[in-house]
Amino acid sequence: MDNLDAARLQMAFTLIFHIVFACIGMVMPFFMVVAHKKWLNTKNPIYLTLTKSWQKGVAIFFVTGAVSGTALSFELGLLWPEFMKHAGPIIGMPFSLEGAAFFVEAIALGFYLYGWNRLPKKFHWFTGIIVGIAGVASGILVVSANGWMNAPSGFDYVNGEFLNIDPIKALFNPGWFTQALHMTLAAFTATGFAVAGVHAFQVYKKKHKELHMKAFKIALTFGALAAILQPISGDISAKDIAKRQPVKLAAMEAHYHTQKGAPLYIGGIVDNENQTVSYKIEIPKALSFLAFGDFDAEVKGLNDFPEDVRPKNIALVHYAFQIMVGIGSLLLIVGLLFFISFKKQIWWQKKWFWILFAVLAPTGFIALEAGWIVTEVGRQPWIIHNIMKTKDAVTPMPGMVYSFYMYIVLYTVLTVAVTWLMTRQIKFLNNSKTV
Amino acid sequence: MLYVVLFFLAISLLLYVILAGADFGAGIVELFSSDQNQQITKKTVYRVMGPVWEANHIWIIIILVILWVGFPEFYNVLVLYLHIPITLVLLGITLRGVAFVFRHYDAFKDKSQILYDWMFRISSFVTPIFLGMTFGAMLSGHIIIPEHIESQSFYNLFIAPWFNGFSVFVGLFFAALCAFLASILLIGEASDEERPIYVRKSRIATVTVIIMGFLVLCFSYLYDIRFLSNFVKNPYALTLVAISALLIFPLLRSIKLARKITTRTFTGVQVVLILIAALIAQYPNLIITSDASINILKTAAPDKVINVLGISLIVGGCIILPGLYHLFRSFKMIKIFER
Ligand code: HDD
Ligand code: HEM
Ligand code: HEM
Repeated sequence: MDNLDAARLQMAFTLIFHIVFACIGMVMPFFMVVAHKKWLNTKNPIYLTLTKSWQKGVAIFFVTGAVSGTALSFELGLLWPEFMKHAGPIIGMPFSLEGAAFFVEAIALGFYLYGWNRLPKKFHWFTGIIVGIAGVASGILVVSANGWMNAPSGFDYVNGEFLNIDPIKALFNPGWFTQALHMTLAAFTATGFAVAGVHAFQVYKKKHKELHMKAFKIALTFGALAAILQPISGDISAKDIAKRQPVKLAAMEAHYHTQKGAPLYIGGIVDNENQTVSYKIEIPKALSFLAFGDFDAEVKGLNDFPEDVRPKNIALVHYAFQIMVGIGSLLLIVGLLFFISFKKQIWWQKKWFWILFAVLAPTGFIALEAGWIVTEVGRQPWIIHNIMKTKDAVTPMPGMVYSFYMYIVLYTVLTVAVTWLMTRQIKFLNNSKTV
Repeated sequence: MLYVVLFFLAISLLLYVILAGADFGAGIVELFSSDQNQQITKKTVYRVMGPVWEANHIWIIIILVILWVGFPEFYNVLVLYLHIPITLVLLGITLRGVAFVFRHYDAFKDKSQILYDWMFRISSFVTPIFLGMTFGAMLSGHIIIPEHIESQSFYNLFIAPWFNGFSVFVGLFFAALCAFLASILLIGEASDEERPIYVRKSRIATVTVIIMGFLVLCFSYLYDIRFLSNFVKNPYALTLVAISALLIFPLLRSIKLARKITTRTFTGVQVVLILIAALIAQYPNLIITSDASINILKTAAPDKVINVLGISLIVGGCIILPGLYHLFRSFKMIKIFER
């Protein structure tokens, strides 16, 4: 493995880890404050138990998100010093605002976690809301920085120098809105289905059913709503990509040859050498429509881009895209099913209902990671689209593989530890029948 | 605006050293305590630090962001040549953070606590050492900035800058400083029966800090580290250090009397003075390399960037500082009510 590959893998691996914890840390506070509000309104002690146990989850996930995020902010510089030297000042806006958001979040969390019975009830509850809002704000801001890497703006690039820097224009780069919208929805979908899945499994096992049913409903209401909106936002993203990064679009669809009225491939095995996709389902003209809203529009194929600006791993981008869209469609249907189930409450007595949601628990996160792989691998070989190549940004320090191995070991251990802690929380919850 | 940004950078650095320092130090105090005292310290630390520890650690992110946005080339040198100690600091911060939370939020309190405790204590001790080594490396004059990276060995470029006597002693000095800060803080927070423990600890820590500080100076003298001559030549730096040295006497007395507020104030002032002295002695050449120094002002980003950064810092500061003040106050106020 050469230095560049090791650095890329380390970046990818640490981001994949961070995103899970960050998303849960940013969305769970919303579940928590809903449960908390219900407790304040109904005085039903089950809601208090639930709030307190979700609060422990939030604390554990928050800190794991925070430490891995701290590591990431160093990593941007440690791994890509050339990139940060030039990009740092330009995308400083989102990062400095993000710093402010973290602060607000940490302060509010301090109040919330330690404020039980000490702060006025309403204020205490309200600090929980602030935790959630600040979390979403930091997610949006960091994604805006990523949007800039996909759609650089706010500077003039003259002879290899970045002149006339405008940090505000860089913050509101053309990519930020679609990406931030899609990402925020994804966080709610993924966390909603994951949390609901865990509680559904407990209901299925008939453990403390009353509590887990309530938890399930709160979490899935968020998740299902987001899942229903997700495909709409995904369609906006795809149209955006078609305009701004046509190579990425071609890679997502493994679309090798320029064509008018291009078909959409579902599934299929990509053979990059022969430039064919076999075993696929073909929907005529659908790609042209999806990308440009016109069945006969011309979609540029990979072959019409110079070799050195094409992502290398077409197959990965294509498969990842298929996985995301596949899961997205599935969750849309299941989300609707959930809302229908309020009319057909008999489903709640059925085992299949709970098994279904338990099985779906990881799918949201799988889609989320797949989506990021589409975005990031599809952006290659550029670290800043059309401006700077990834290979020119990497640190000249040799031996990055070792650092990569260290992170693999560290984060694998942490993943196991956090999973173990969560199972203990649930065990504890199930034993707390008394309340 | 450049000075506003520098001001925020300095403030963040001071606050990080004091607040996160006390936090690291709490783990060090715990590490060097007898079994029984360890449990007492653990409880006190949780009560005192719990609500604020997360916020304390965000200062380093602010420092980082100010550096990379405002002073990109300065930052570039740090992350390139001090990659290894920074990675070790990160490893420490990660293990420490999760251990702190795990040990308080694990649903069952059983044998696994022993593991969390040790993870917390060891990483609390090691992290500030590496952090101090990173600071030391900036001043030790061992960083080489070559024309071609290949012309130098890996050791010379990436290890020697931080793995040298001076940096190691700065690291140990910083760890001692953290323990000092923590034990002083704990004097004020402990209950009456427990207070003598921390009074004793503070004395040990004070002496250790002095010895370590002395060793750092000896070392810089023996190996002719340029930091020392800059330091000695700078009248402001010397005055500040002198004042802080004089403060030791009232401090020791105040520790003996187990006074809460005065002890804390003296300590805070002392540490701030030492840090400002070290910064002033070097400013604006905050990195000393083997053949030159790097002037932080010359690495500043274009004016427009600095202006936007300065404004965001002011606005952010207006939102955050009152919130933070409130957080600190709320949880101290509550203690007064409880008494
Ligand atoms: C729960 C997760 C999830 C689900 C169900 C979907 N997505 Fe997605 N998608 C993401 C999670 C995600 C993501 C991980 O959040 C990405 C990565 C970058 C981004 O902004 O969002 C993403 C990126 C992303 C991109 C690339 C954007 C870019 O590179 O700027 C496109 C074109 C789509 N998505 C399209 C879709 C479509 C048509 C879906 C139809 C159902 C869909 N996504 C469902
Ligand atoms: C959390 C979700 C994210 C995931 C899972 C993710 C995934 C990845 C992957 C797979 C790569 C490697 C690409 C390759 O080598 O082919 C990568 C690279 C990178 N990503 Fe992301 N990414 C995420 C979000 C972000 C964000 C928000 C930023 C910036 C603010 C970012 C910045 C980078 C950088 C700087 C690289 C290295 C350069 C490059 O390969 O282009 N990523 N990421
Ligand atoms: C898509 C990618 C990302 C999203 C959505 C995201 C979102 C978040 C959120 C919501 C938090 C708050 C912690 C929590 O509530 O658990 C967080 C923490 C953090 N993130 Fe990320 N992040 C992403 C990628 C990154 C990247 C690329 C960096 C590095 C530049 C980064 C740096 C941080 C830092 C420093 C923290 C810790 C803040 C604290 O101490 O509270 N994140 N992230």
